[in-house]
Amino acid sequence: MLDNNRYDRLLQESVKNELRVLNSQLPSTQKSLEVLLREEIPSITLRDGSLHLFKKKELKYLSDITDSSLWNNLLLPVIIEVNPGEDEYSIVCRGEVEEKVFSAILGMPVTIRHHRIVIYKPQLAVIRKILKTTTLYLFSPKILP
Amino acid sequence: MTQQSTRRLTKIELIRLRKRLTLASKIRRILKDRLSILVMEFLGIARETVDAKQGMLDDFSAAYKSLSITAGYHGYLALGKELSGAERELEIISGSRNIAGARVPVLEMKDSGGKEGYSQADTSAYLDRTSQLAEKCLEAIVALAELQTTMEILGKEINRTKRIVNALEYRVIPNLEETIRFLKMKFEERDREEKARLKRVKAILEKKVANA
Repeated sequence: MLDNNRYDRLLQESVKNELRVLNSQLPSTQKSLEVLLREEIPSITLRDGSLHLFKKKELKYLSDITDSSLWNNLLLPVIIEVNPGEDEYSIVCRGEVEEKVFSAILGMPVTIRHHRIVIYKPQLAVIRKILKTTTLYLFSPKILP
Repeated sequence: MTQQSTRRLTKIELIRLRKRLTLASKIRRILKDRLSILVMEFLGIARETVDAKQGMLDDFSAAYKSLSITAGYHGYLALGKELSGAERELEIISGSRNIAGARVPVLEMKDSGGKEGYSQADTSAYLDRTSQLAEKCLEAIVALAELQTTMEILGKEINRTKRIVNALEYRVIPNLEETIRFLKMKFEERDREEKARLKRVKAILEKKVANA
């Protein structure tokens, strides 16, 4: 039988481990749409060292719905933050370009609050259906003790 | 019960158990969110797979129809001769993407650049059409392969996560809650005993004072 301290450590480690597994998909750097459009095989390196491939079809779609002057401002992949226990998800955004992109995808206006666009599950499904490789999930580390 | 009987009846133990319960609940919350995202992705991919499969069958049907028309127009021998040198390498870019911790493949066919590999002068537009349809079939196969593999990986991941969530929800957390309840009950019992003992002592002392 595990003693108390070891059992506590095990639980603590498992929380960290779960978050590590979930967030291993985070990119080490983000690239702008303009740069990715120029690459022959558009990809980025993730934190775990693996290569994340972007679909050219998705990049083409994004370039179609955004003005060419904004391509440099749109950093990909777009991070979707998941806050455990909450029904809303937030899209991390830096400027207006994300607002325009997601308004166009959802077909409704979205608002930015504290550098985040708040979306709900049905909207998340719509976004993920269109932007499979250009969006990534981030599980919020706020939950860590 | 065995777990409860082996517990030390101390306040420190109760605090430790409460901390453990909070942690276990946090893990459950993370995993439940992960599970809901995985299920949402799985359902989306499943719908897409059905559409892609139907699309592939339609593409194949159209390609075979077109091929039979082309064969009728050119004749099998002439068609065979024309296509014998038309072979070309197919390039598929393969990579991966991550869905809530599950790594799934990304396959994309590289653009061939439109070179057909057979003489445009000696062949008809029927052959061009057949070639285009055949290419569409290949693209559909690659897309379907990606979707089916993704679905399989997500299915396995959902099963694994569900097992852990169930273990936490129906085993670990209820056990901890029960042990906490047991310890609280024991402490209350101890308090009541203490109070009763004090009352008894007080009564004895009062009796002694009255007798004296």
